[in-house]
Amino acid sequence: MGKHHLGEFEEVVMLTVAILTNDAYGFSIIEEMEKRLNRKVSIGALQTVLRRLEKKGYLNSELGESTSVRGGKRKRFFTLTSSGKKVLEETKEQRMGLWSAVPEFVFGK
Amino acid sequence: MKGNTSIAPPKLPLKFFRWFCNPEFTEDIEGDLLERFEKRKEKGVAAKWFFTMEVLKLFRPGIIRSFNGIKRLNNYGMFKNHLKTSIRSLRKNALFSFINIVGLAISMSVGILMILFLTEVFSYDDFHIKKDRIYRVTTHAKQPGRELHFATSSFYIGNELNEQVSSVEKLLVLREDLYADLKINEKAISITGFYSTASFFDVLSFKLLKGNPNTALASPGGIVLAESVSKKLFGNDDPLGQFVTVEDNDDFQKGIITGIVEDPPINSHLQFEALVSMKTFETSPKKYRRQAKYNKALISDYHVYLLLKENAEIAEIESLMVEMMAETNSKWPQASLTHFLQPMETFVTDGDSYVREPGPSFSQRLIYIMIGLTTIVLLSACFNYTNLSLARALRRSKEIGIRKVTGASRSQVFSQFMVEAVLLALFALVISIGLFYLIRPGFLNLPNPSAKGYQMFSLNIGYKQLSYFFLFAIGIAGIAGFLPALILSKLKARVAFGDASNIRLIQGVSFRRILVILQFALSISLIMCAVLVHKQYQFALNYDLGFATENIIHIDLEGDNLDLLEHEYAQLPEVIQTSRSSKILGVAKADAGIMISEDRSDTIQVMLNKIDGDYLEMHEFKILAGSGFRTALREDERIRQIIVNEELLKSLKLGSPEEVIGKKVWFKSSDYKDISLAIVGVVKDFTSHSLTEESSKSFAFIQLPMNQGKRTSKERFLGRKSKILGIKIRSNDLLTTIEKLENIYREIDPIHPFNARFYDDEIAETYKNYKASYTIISFLAFLATSISTMGLLGMVIFSTESRMKEISIRKVFGAGIQNLMLLLSRSFLVMIFLAGLIAIPIAHHIINNTLLSNFLYQAKFTVIDTLSGLLFVFFIGLITIGLQVRRVALHNPSDILRDE
Repeated sequence: MGKHHLGEFEEVVMLTVAILTNDAYGFSIIEEMEKRLNRKVSIGALQTVLRRLEKKGYLNSELGESTSVRGGKRKRFFTLTSSGKKVLEETKEQRMGLWSAVPEFVFGK
Repeated sequence: MKGNTSIAPPKLPLKFFRWFCNPEFTEDIEGDLLERFEKRKEKGVAAKWFFTMEVLKLFRPGIIRSFNGIKRLNNYGMFKNHLKTSIRSLRKNALFSFINIVGLAISMSVGILMILFLTEVFSYDDFHIKKDRIYRVTTHAKQPGRELHFATSSFYIGNELNEQVSSVEKLLVLREDLYADLKINEKAISITGFYSTASFFDVLSFKLLKGNPNTALASPGGIVLAESVSKKLFGNDDPLGQFVTVEDNDDFQKGIITGIVEDPPINSHLQFEALVSMKTFETSPKKYRRQAKYNKALISDYHVYLLLKENAEIAEIESLMVEMMAETNSKWPQASLTHFLQPMETFVTDGDSYVREPGPSFSQRLIYIMIGLTTIVLLSACFNYTNLSLARALRRSKEIGIRKVTGASRSQVFSQFMVEAVLLALFALVISIGLFYLIRPGFLNLPNPSAKGYQMFSLNIGYKQLSYFFLFAIGIAGIAGFLPALILSKLKARVAFGDASNIRLIQGVSFRRILVILQFALSISLIMCAVLVHKQYQFALNYDLGFATENIIHIDLEGDNLDLLEHEYAQLPEVIQTSRSSKILGVAKADAGIMISEDRSDTIQVMLNKIDGDYLEMHEFKILAGSGFRTALREDERIRQIIVNEELLKSLKLGSPEEVIGKKVWFKSSDYKDISLAIVGVVKDFTSHSLTEESSKSFAFIQLPMNQGKRTSKERFLGRKSKILGIKIRSNDLLTTIEKLENIYREIDPIHPFNARFYDDEIAETYKNYKASYTIISFLAFLATSISTMGLLGMVIFSTESRMKEISIRKVFGAGIQNLMLLLSRSFLVMIFLAGLIAIPIAHHIINNTLLSNFLYQAKFTVIDTLSGLLFVFFIGLITIGLQVRRVALHNPSDILRDE
């Protein structure tokens, strides 16, 4: 691959989708991110990224069943595609590679 | 969470979100928004705030529905498709579209005319930069039994306002009785215009081409000439500072050219050839003219304009003027003068409210009438379009059905029909502009007494007007096409595929029937009016006046060398004879005098003409006894002879023509005081006046002295023609002859304009109002007929199309074509006859009481003339109905019945 680099926010979103596995939809992703990363996320920012990732083929989405909560609106569940997983792994390896290349004295250990 | 149900997500942001969001995402994102809102509910109002912020943050490229992507391409494609199908359907029904387009075009040409007319009326005086601050002082004069509004007021009130009221910035006073002959180096020219105070160019924005705007009109004798007049007098020389001699004017003898002003534009309410300093008038040798400016009650001579400051209070100034006049008014309790201020924008459009307008104006009532008529014409044309399209659409229901089945939304079908309407209206616009050029001259020649003889309108089409026309066409398309588009787009696919006659499009057939009858009644009466007015017009033109008018040219005599001029003309080989007279007979009312019998027992009024010795012979009057004037009358000689007509002999009971020769009668007129004249000749009766003029039939000729007949500038100012030279010619090439006459005239009299007219043209000119009304009525008749024919066509198509099955069944049972045609057209022909029954008596009444009531001699109208309108409309209706019905009647019944 190589030509696709994930942005920081993109990476976080994809990881959150991975964490939530079968329950990743707009609202739950935001909740999860806010809880774990302690940062404010707007629906606008999130949704744009979700659509972009879907367009790139890293995410798949599917509308769920209609429920009585949230005004009867259906949820859109996101799942990682295989290429999405691959990109995440690549990113992780790149990071690890970088980490391992850092001389130990830099962090004073 | 549930406890706090009173808080719902704010509606507006939610609506906004639904509007902008890509429809694919709307549902789940809205769900997220709501869920998040629910969670935040405890925070109360802040939750709403957060919600709004979230929506705003969603307003970003990835989420917003795409405007320029798929959507627009799609629309463009649909538009192209609409355009294509519209053109196809217009072409497929070529005749039908043609009728529709032409029908719309005819009425739209009236709309175009009205757009041009209104833009011109309301752009009057727009070139004045300070227009919104310019007012004039008007006067309401109340006298016992009479109230008048003057566009004028007194110099006095203008001065008072200028001195006492702080909100008056500038005062401009004009007097319109300026007329003079200006002479320089043997060249001379007659002018009319205004005396004006020095502030003319401060207040008004006429362009001063040469000279100083502040001083040009500041001192006595200062003359500012209009550019065209200056060209005539000075050619290319510099006129500034030139001294001119002034003739034919009581107020001054010498003037100096102090400025050249651009000719007043056509949309100016002030029209002039020259401006002369008001100081000149105030230093007039005549005392009453010098003192006119101090007279508070002289309110009919001065036009007083005020340039007010930005924040001037109109009501305050008006009440001040009441105070200023209080003393004067208290002296004459039965009469009173009240002054008002009138803003410049209403000078022209409020024309019929004031007397003594300085220039052209237009009646406000007339403007409203014209707008009203145009609206009626346009609405009924739109109605017909609607009617026709609906009737026609029965045929297109299958097309609509297929569109719907293949997934067209209602708005798409709607826009399909709107596109078609717009297309049609644009075609109609092109034709209507052509038609407009046909009616333009007729409209421009319409008699408009308040225009004061000026050409008020140019009615030219510019880019600005073209854009108005375009919007107008779109508007018409909108009004005319809306209903069909709405109704047809509502059509359900299932119904559309079914039998067309089951579609109940619009109710109220009887209402439409009545409307069509009224439209026909209107066309019948208009055609009738046009035919009869035309007949009367022709009758008046060809009326045998009792003397010859052919090949006679009239020239106004104004110079000094009249005898020389006449002599020169007589030398031309083309000229048979020349003669002089004071009046032209047969065109208007002649002058009147009083004739008293020798023993003073009988007194009658006679009509008069002063003539020379050749007049009777040249005009081929039939002399019953005696002769014409044999010897010429010298300028200093007293008149002794008179020639009378038969009618006068009867009225004065003088006996037979042979007996009266040599008898004396007493005669009085404005020129002569009770003189005794001898009758030297008797002529056969003739018509001395126009056929619309009531006039005494007794007529007398008296002698015109030699070399007399110069017309003064004052007479010209008042529009009087006093002396006329008649020339009888034998040439075939009239233009060259007139050119020859003009060249001789120019040599002998370079000052005054050469003004030649044919006698027959002058007679035609007398009746030009009738020609104008004939033109207008014909056009209206054309308009009404085309509108009503369209209405009829709509009805016929509608009724035949919906009776297709019935006709087919009748055919199967053996009904013949004639049979069917009679069946289908009977009710429509009855409608036309009904319209005729209504129209003919009404039209007769209007013709006899309004249109031709002025004519004392009426042409004989035949039955054919009276029935002309009905016959014409009947004929047109027959063709309309016949063509449509024949098409239906010839239809193969199996085509229609096989689906059952």
